[in-house]
Amino acid sequence: MKFYINLLAFLTGLLFTANAHCADMLMTPLTDKPPAINFKLQDMDGKIHQLSDYKGQPVIINFWATWCPPCREELPSMNRGWAKIKSDGIAMIAINVGEDEDTIFTFTGDYPIDFTVLLDLSGEVINQWPIKGLPTTFVIDPQGRIVYRAIGGRQWDAEELLNLVRALK
Amino acid sequence: MKIKYFSLLIGLLFIQVSYADISKTVLPESKLIEWKLIEDNFELKLVQRLPDQTRSFFEGRGFSKNITNNIANSCVFQTIGRNNSKDKQQTIHVSLKKWFIKIDQQRLPIKLKETWDKQWNDEQVNSASRLAFRWATFPTEQSFEPNGDYNWGMISFGPQPGSVFDLYIEWQSNDQTKNAWIKNIMCPKDR
Repeated sequence: MKFYINLLAFLTGLLFTANAHCADMLMTPLTDKPPAINFKLQDMDGKIHQLSDYKGQPVIINFWATWCPPCREELPSMNRGWAKIKSDGIAMIAINVGEDEDTIFTFTGDYPIDFTVLLDLSGEVINQWPIKGLPTTFVIDPQGRIVYRAIGGRQWDAEELLNLVRALK
Repeated sequence: MKIKYFSLLIGLLFIQVSYADISKTVLPESKLIEWKLIEDNFELKLVQRLPDQTRSFFEGRGFSKNITNNIANSCVFQTIGRNNSKDKQQTIHVSLKKWFIKIDQQRLPIKLKETWDKQWNDEQVNSASRLAFRWATFPTEQSFEPNGDYNWGMISFGPQPGSVFDLYIEWQSNDQTKNAWIKNIMCPKDR
């Protein structure tokens, strides 16, 4: 009888494993490492940022919008991830698609963002980058190449994921 | 005796697997219905949207009342596609051009974002509204890589609120074409 209880526990575990979403969701490595297209965008204070300003360090670039549910879900973990990596010489940028400063400012009252937020008001940048949906996040290596892509949200404070970015240094 | 227990356990396993293919759930808070398909690591969720939800979303993004009504009355569902594979080789590709609905013995294509976009001129819909529409709707073509790729967005299936239809879906898992029917999907009425 004990054998069958163990077997039942094993099979139940197997089913839960098969049905559960991957707890270890990482990123897709891009083997061809295409060059990241440079951009020139304003931040919330009107300061211009170019991607080329960040050459020499890994950069995490997240495309998002306030009305996008999975973006709202992953942003708190990005903020926690930023707290872990900001002293590691890694940059993190959130590019908002199509919304103005007031909308983003109101949103950040509920969802604080401590890293750089840039405004792609006209959608010019997102249209140039290889993106199908929001959120999409890219990791750029110090040479300015796209090395990882994540379509949909991730847990950005997961050490396993952050270590992939740290390893680019 | 041992064989009896073993058969029971194997039976339980298969009941779970077949149950997991397509399920229909009434969401407790909103009372809206979600259809969920899981097959070969492809997970698809279709969640009803009330016409009023869709209307307010697009009105909030600068669309006129007339256009938001057209969209809202086209049976819009929130759609989430996901690759659950841990196999680094399994890419799942979805093309909405291959999907169709069956209603009243008629086979109809679903209304793609490109079709909507073409029917509006620049005076009717400005570029900021088009941008919001483009990114809030499910991509017409999308590849989902392993490692947890997923995407979401609205799909307008076309029929009037209150209609019931069957949906044919198709996807590529690596080079293999897979398909499934989700039967008796209900377009929600305005509440």
